[in-house]
Amino acid sequence: MIQFEQVSKVYARGSVAVEDFTLVVPSHRTVVLVGSSGSGKTTLMRMVNRMVDPTSGRVLIDDVDVREGDPVKLRRRIGYVLQQGGLLPHRTVVDNIATVPVLNGTSRRQAHHDALGLLERVGLSSEVAKRYPAQLSGGQQQRVGVARALASDPNILLMDEPFGAVDPIVRRDLQDELLRLQADLGKTILFVTHDIDEAFRLGDEVVVLRERGQIAQQGTPEQILAHPADDFVRHFIGADRSERSLTTTRVDGRLVVVDGQGRPVGVMRDGA
Amino acid sequence: MNLFAQALAWLGDGTHWQGSSGIPTRVLQHLGITLLTLVIAAAIAWPAGVLVGHTRRGSGMIGAITGGARAIPTLGLLTLFGLWLGIGLSAPVLALVVLAIPSLLAGAYAGIENIDATIPQAAKAIGMTPAQVIRSVELPLALPVIIGGLRSATLQVVATATLAAYTSDTGLGRYLFAGLKTRDYPQMLGGALLVVVLTLVLELVLASCQRLATNRVAHPERNLP
Repeated sequence: MIQFEQVSKVYARGSVAVEDFTLVVPSHRTVVLVGSSGSGKTTLMRMVNRMVDPTSGRVLIDDVDVREGDPVKLRRRIGYVLQQGGLLPHRTVVDNIATVPVLNGTSRRQAHHDALGLLERVGLSSEVAKRYPAQLSGGQQQRVGVARALASDPNILLMDEPFGAVDPIVRRDLQDELLRLQADLGKTILFVTHDIDEAFRLGDEVVVLRERGQIAQQGTPEQILAHPADDFVRHFIGADRSERSLTTTRVDGRLVVVDGQGRPVGVMRDGA
Repeated sequence: MNLFAQALAWLGDGTHWQGSSGIPTRVLQHLGITLLTLVIAAAIAWPAGVLVGHTRRGSGMIGAITGGARAIPTLGLLTLFGLWLGIGLSAPVLALVVLAIPSLLAGAYAGIENIDATIPQAAKAIGMTPAQVIRSVELPLALPVIIGGLRSATLQVVATATLAAYTSDTGLGRYLFAGLKTRDYPQMLGGALLVVVLTLVLELVLASCQRLATNRVAHPERNLP
């Protein structure tokens, strides 16, 4: 469980990144922070592994303040997936995945062996093991990034717009892969994105942020879609977009779902 | 016989290749001064440059130091140090160290600063200590540029190390100063040619080191199909 207790972050030049933010990320759940740039979402995430320290307030992991221990040890037990993968360009895929276990004292041979298993887990063939990141596609690099984050078997995964730089079809594949992995692994995931569709697809819970980490609305995707808290949320989630305002119409005894522009998008199943 | 042929004749004379003022000894002395200078300069410049590059702070200071130091005339500095430290190797080595520092500093600093900042950031975020980030991320990626700095420092030092003979009986500069004094121009030109050859050899060696650092350490992916 990750808890944010009234955290604020004011930078030296006086700009406020986050103001009085409080949130609980329950264990084994996926919570998505979604907001546009300037919402402080990445700053909030980076407070969990102490890449940023809050100016005031506390961040707790399993009821322990993250500032109590050594930040290096903290980071080694938290999986972190970055935009563009954040892989080391001069190391092979298998070396990248094995980085943290080797830092933690696992033998190189064992870490490489485990890394091959992880490659398979994230849907890559072991053929890519000896390649370098620049030789992989963007989607493959992200998969390697996920494998690296899982390598030390952390309880917590931080994912900072991990699928932001890949094309929509690959992004969808990666999202499916993450859902499948999460169904298996049950990690505590804090996910940051500016893409509301991604947030709704991945999040057990979604937190919509205004500027400076102000929570506009928090709830399950269903709750937020059903009852947007205000115009900001309504606009942000695109509640008025044609594909969000569906109606049904009866055709030959079956209910056809139609979007806001009258285009059919599907059929209600019998009994639904 | 023109001067160039006389210089070659001087170089070909077997007696110039023997004894304590023979060419092999002078070449070794010259290399020794160059090496000593580079070791001292690197011990100062590399840690400073790496630190500034790593923290990405103080780049203005680096600019001022390298710009300022490059404007200092080495002969003037040597004279000053010579007056202060007297006859011997200390003065020229000190002057050559001042000459070598800017290139070494700039290479280390620029090599690390030019790495995409997200890479060391990511390495830190997954749990590397600052020392590990420097050792296993920043230094390997910056190595070609660091060696580039070493290359230009070596070039400057090996050519300027002739000045060591100004205050001491050392190096290939002896042929130049001795030749100048006795109007033995073939000897002067022969000495100068030896410096040129030595410089070219070092340049070739370091260029291949730089290529090796690029292909094996910083960008190993370029080696693969």
